[in-house]
Amino acid sequence: MKLALRELRRQPGRFVTATVILFLIALLLMFLGGLVDGLIDNSTGAVRAQRGDLIVFSSDAKNSFLRSEISAETRAAVEAVDGVERVGGIGIIQLGARVPGNGPRDLADTALFGYEIAPSGVPETPPALGTAYADESLQASGVEEGTEILLGPFRTPITIVGFVEDTNYLGQSSLWASPETWRKVASENRAVSALPDGVFQSLLVVADGSSGDLVTRIDGATDGATESLTLVDAANAIPGVKEQRGTFGQIIGVTVAIAVVVVALFFALLTIERSGLYGVLKAIGAGTGTLFLGVVLQAVVVTVAACVLAGAVSTVLGVVIPEGSVPFEFGPSRFVLSTVLLLFASAIGCAFSLRRVLKIDPARAIGGSL
Amino acid sequence: MFLALKEMRRAKVRFGLLTAAIGLLVFLVLFQQSLQNGLLTAFVGGIKNQSAPVLVYSVDGRRNLQGGVIIPELETQVRAVEGIGRIGRFSQSTFTATAGGVQTDAAVIGFESEGLGSPATLTEGRLPQADNEAVANEADADKGFAIGDVVRLDPSGFEITVVGVARDVLINVTPTLYVTYPTYEAAVRSRFAGATTVLPNALAVEPSAGGSPAELVERINAVSDDIDALVRADAADKAPGVSQVRQSFSIIFLLYALVVPFVTGLFFLILTLQKANALTLLRAIGAPAGKLVRALLVQVIAVLVGGLAIGIGLYTPIASQRLGDISLRFETNAVIFWSVLLLGFGTLSSLFSARRVLAIDPVAATTGTGVER
Repeated sequence: MKLALRELRRQPGRFVTATVILFLIALLLMFLGGLVDGLIDNSTGAVRAQRGDLIVFSSDAKNSFLRSEISAETRAAVEAVDGVERVGGIGIIQLGARVPGNGPRDLADTALFGYEIAPSGVPETPPALGTAYADESLQASGVEEGTEILLGPFRTPITIVGFVEDTNYLGQSSLWASPETWRKVASENRAVSALPDGVFQSLLVVADGSSGDLVTRIDGATDGATESLTLVDAANAIPGVKEQRGTFGQIIGVTVAIAVVVVALFFALLTIERSGLYGVLKAIGAGTGTLFLGVVLQAVVVTVAACVLAGAVSTVLGVVIPEGSVPFEFGPSRFVLSTVLLLFASAIGCAFSLRRVLKIDPARAIGGSL
Repeated sequence: MFLALKEMRRAKVRFGLLTAAIGLLVFLVLFQQSLQNGLLTAFVGGIKNQSAPVLVYSVDGRRNLQGGVIIPELETQVRAVEGIGRIGRFSQSTFTATAGGVQTDAAVIGFESEGLGSPATLTEGRLPQADNEAVANEADADKGFAIGDVVRLDPSGFEITVVGVARDVLINVTPTLYVTYPTYEAAVRSRFAGATTVLPNALAVEPSAGGSPAELVERINAVSDDIDALVRADAADKAPGVSQVRQSFSIIFLLYALVVPFVTGLFFLILTLQKANALTLLRAIGAPAGKLVRALLVQVIAVLVGGLAIGIGLYTPIASQRLGDISLRFETNAVIFWSVLLLGFGTLSSLFSARRVLAIDPVAATTGTGVER
């Protein structure tokens, strides 16, 4: 083991190219991971921020907020279900926002939510009519506290009274307002799809204790007029989320497989190069296990170095990539996951060298073939 | 040459691993190229492959067909622009629908006449002529969108019969139905019973004879800051998310394009260092340096060609599959581009090894101390 570490210290040049290649692969893994995290976070923030247990859609909406419609009667049926502590209506409208000081064609993408139960970071009491809390991503468009933005083609004025974090919906900056504000904006800008008083697009349900089979009980109580989902399922039901996760997962999987082959290749070559030396070490009593562990240790050190470097570059990328261009979100959990995946790939890759280490005959050390 | 190939036969694992690594990388690059193109087609194919040369959105729509409305004042202003040959309403609404007995999403696109937003890639059947008829996306035929299938919009039960299919006319990765404008309005009213006026989401415009779409776009945009006119290609390329997808994939491709030459270069450099003694001996007995370099290049090219063959071999069956709602295609241009690029970069990366070979001094073979690495 000491010998393996000493070799790394004394001859770092031997490992530089492998480190560079692993760095590129680690960067690929972290970039792919950061991309999928960014895409998904940017789509699901508004659902993840909800402080409840279930979201109830109308059964004909295919879990789409925009197509769902929950009548007052259906809401009453949901409220009456045993185990339901609180129910709050949710309404959404997606519109372009004109920001003072920006060009006439330079609109910000927004999704205005009318809420009854406040999501994380938003005060429990909805703001006054014509005002809203905004996701901090809107600051990139020049919006500040007190800014009056104009929503939609009919330019409904909304004054921003504060900011919240990580609540975007489908890549659009969210605005959190009272149900009255949502109805006003919707009826002015989308009269066709505006909903009457008492009707919401969906409901947020807070369970009284364990949510257990609450989904079944709610959907049963409404005679199948509703489809209830947990917050996780509701986030996954947002268009594109499941597909993005699946596709990027497959790409990351193949990239890890490539890392296995590359590590195997590199350490197989190193082992071949050092087979004479290993013969000597075996002749003086070093065990195969010790020698193999040395190879694994070197692979781990090289991999960790590559991952730390890739993590640093990914962090810098996260800072320099302009808001609104590539949705890249790189955090500690993605770094740890990518590093663990690559360490796993390194360990598997090194196993290819084990056979060669086992085959080395200590007698070669006295056979003059060094 | 003979020695180079013999060495490859003898060290199958070493060269096999490198070839496999390159093959997997090539496969991933090509697969992602198909994925990128399939994804973009699934998002904006319905815009790219519609027939109107110019689309006019409201600025509020943010270039998302369903996202904006053209209010009557704007429509009047656009219709008055000089140089317009024909103009028609063009709208989209997404519904929950039942097709083939399964509940699904369906985007219904309404157009007023052929050439003004009608699908331009009809492969079978005909365009809708009567009420409640539609053209669907060809790839969705097995999902209940084949010619003769009846799609029912929920919850109203409004029925639309598929009378034609067109290639790559998906919008927002959702099965799409192109219908006549009266059918579109009726479909919207079936969902929102109280809707008295259904405002168009966009206008489809054709320039008058002799006029160019680009000039017409300029003239229309000059009318009002609330209007966003685009030629067809721009309407597709500048749709929300398209540039993000392109930028993201470009970075991924760049990283993959770097990994292949690095892996190849490193492998042959190590191999050359390992063989330094043997190469010195060969030089000492008269083998010219050029011949050794050529042998090295033969190995490099053999490995790269083998990797490309594996990659393309893995890619070919995958390229004709569907990934969820995304149809993948075999991208011949991408295969040629990446093959040439990776072959070029991979060969260039072996120059480090070639330099080492050229630097070998045959006299070192006579010292009996081996060759300094």
